[in-house]
Amino acid sequence: MRKREFYALVAPSLLVMFGFLVLPLYRTVEWSLERVNYGEAGTFVGLANYQQALSDPRFGRAVLFTVGLTLAVTAVLVVGGYLLAVAVNGLGRWRPVVLGVLLVSYVVPQLVGATMFSWLFDENFGGVFNHLVSTLTGQEVLWYTDPWPNRLLIGLDLIWHLVPFSMLVLLAGLQGVSEEVIESAKIDGATTLQRHWHVIVPSLRGVLGFVSLISIMDVLRTFDALVPLSPQAPQIGNESIMLYIFNVAFRDGGQQLGVGSAINVLMILIIVVLLFPFIRNIAKEARSA
Amino acid sequence: MSSSRGAGWVRATLCVTMAVALAACGAGSRTGSETATKVACDFEKPAEAVTVDVLAYNSSAIDPYTNTMVASCSKNGVTVKHEPIDFGGQVQKTTATLAGETGTYDVLETYGFVIPQFASGEKLRPLNELFDKYSGEYGLDKINKSMRDTMSYDGKLYALPMQAQMYVLAYRKDVFDKLGLKPPTTFAELRAVSKKIQDAGEIKHPLALPWLASSDIITAYDAALGSLGTNLTDPAGKTANLDTPQSKQALQELLSLRPFMDPEVTTFDQPAVQQQLFNGSAAIGIMFSGRMADLVNKSNTRFHDKFAFAPPPKVAENAPRQYSALSVDGWSIPRNTKVDPDLLFQVIASSVSEEASKASMPAAYPARDGMVSESSSPYAAAANDAIKNAPPAEPYPWTSQISNDIRPVVADVLLGKTSVDQGTRQMQQIATKILAGHQ
Repeated sequence: MRKREFYALVAPSLLVMFGFLVLPLYRTVEWSLERVNYGEAGTFVGLANYQQALSDPRFGRAVLFTVGLTLAVTAVLVVGGYLLAVAVNGLGRWRPVVLGVLLVSYVVPQLVGATMFSWLFDENFGGVFNHLVSTLTGQEVLWYTDPWPNRLLIGLDLIWHLVPFSMLVLLAGLQGVSEEVIESAKIDGATTLQRHWHVIVPSLRGVLGFVSLISIMDVLRTFDALVPLSPQAPQIGNESIMLYIFNVAFRDGGQQLGVGSAINVLMILIIVVLLFPFIRNIAKEARSA
Repeated sequence: MSSSRGAGWVRATLCVTMAVALAACGAGSRTGSETATKVACDFEKPAEAVTVDVLAYNSSAIDPYTNTMVASCSKNGVTVKHEPIDFGGQVQKTTATLAGETGTYDVLETYGFVIPQFASGEKLRPLNELFDKYSGEYGLDKINKSMRDTMSYDGKLYALPMQAQMYVLAYRKDVFDKLGLKPPTTFAELRAVSKKIQDAGEIKHPLALPWLASSDIITAYDAALGSLGTNLTDPAGKTANLDTPQSKQALQELLSLRPFMDPEVTTFDQPAVQQQLFNGSAAIGIMFSGRMADLVNKSNTRFHDKFAFAPPPKVAENAPRQYSALSVDGWSIPRNTKVDPDLLFQVIASSVSEEASKASMPAAYPARDGMVSESSSPYAAAANDAIKNAPPAEPYPWTSQISNDIRPVVADVLLGKTSVDQGTRQMQQIATKILAGHQ
């Protein structure tokens, strides 16, 4: 390929990356150091926005909630996705039908899916699950106003929404595992659990890392699902960082774009910390390649 | 099965699922302008094609006006466009479109609460001259004077009123008749009838009010405070009234209703309250009149013929006003639009013409004098009483910011996380700080 062709092919991607990644990132960092309202030039305020964000107890609660949710949901997504992939992999001609049904929750827009999911727990809209729990336990669970039931509800929705993706990727990975190696382990007397733990899982290490990486990023960005699932998220401490940014920058009092940007920068740092082990592995692999 | 065949199945399944999902996504529609009333919209044909973008939220009360505007004025090279949006989305887009030198929208649905803020910030175009110019053609002199005043700031009109909304009490007449109850006129009576319905055993949470912690809850507090004859602020001295005995009483009275409401009431917006009344899990609801027509719609609920309406109760026997909020909706023209103001004014004037206003009933309470009579709608009598006895509007530039900032405190008090005394102290501090910026 000639240099000219190379640049012609790469230029659109570079332009898009600059426009959609670099420029917004630059403006976010710039605004995080300014007091800025819609349509007005900002005024430099140094680290005041960071100070305001870090001294707000809501920020601490949002970080704790988001990180906790991310770790818990990601663990379930990886384990659950693996188990589902194994189950689907073992299916015969029903595999595409089951796969199609499982994928519906992933392709439904998150807000729509979360709204439908919330109806299962909302007596006003039928509340099938609610009814089931009350019948079995005689207890009325307040899914929307009690912090822990609400956290469970949010977690379940995210798992329902995201597990098809991890299942699909792991299923593709499973199909790449050598049948001969599994057969050898069988002949050597390995039990099913031993075959999975010592043969299949190590073979899928890269795929499991990829699923974890994407799951962490997806759950950290949780935002629109909370609108129907946690209508009073700030009051019960179930506000995700993204929802907190939205509330500060656009809803609560509106126009605090500077503080919102500062929280955004802090959010990026949290993402980097959480993804550090994966980034380090990728860098290691790149060096050894 | 080989891995390549397996991957093929995965790809095929994914494609089919995506196709189904995308088809479902594309199945939505825009606003229902095809069924709207057609009225005169007689602007001169512009030299070049013009698109008029309208920002208005979707509800039974607003849609008739928006749809009329779109259906009647999309002609002669003018295209009037309106995309469906909810109220929260509209609030954010309004702030964004008014922020810069050019905006996305040419006509905005506004309401009395926000007019002072936008007008004092010179974001909206004064409409007095255009009002006078087109008054005869569109019969604008019949638009209620006090509603025009609500949409004015500093003596200038900033929005052409289309309709008003006030709290109305909806109740299940069959339940009330069976238990020998009368519509409550005070909060004490409201508690008493709620208790009797609850004790009868069929309806566990008889009372439904919109108390969404992130939104409606502040309107509830403001309505209770207003009923007791107190405003959020004293505009003359620019002082807040949020730690007064009336403020404490307002919160205590609201708290006294909780035993009769769903324990998760702080997650209920107005559609959720409607839903409780639709499905029979509540027997009494108090919300804006624009929601009332939905209750008597046969396709919404099997109780459509069982609802009756009354004015909202007073918070206390000696309270000067009802527990209510009067909100006037209207059309504004942003200063930053590039479209000819004459054309835009004719578009909005046509949507509030006599014919269009008539067609908006019973979903809306039109802004035209004498239009709503007892034959207009099942809740007309209640609405006419409520509009006379609602607390007055507070048309000051700081009202919306104070309301916004004290809302979390009101929510904490009504959730029982903060005491009334502590809450009122916090609210007073917040409001005092905001008012200091307006001295």
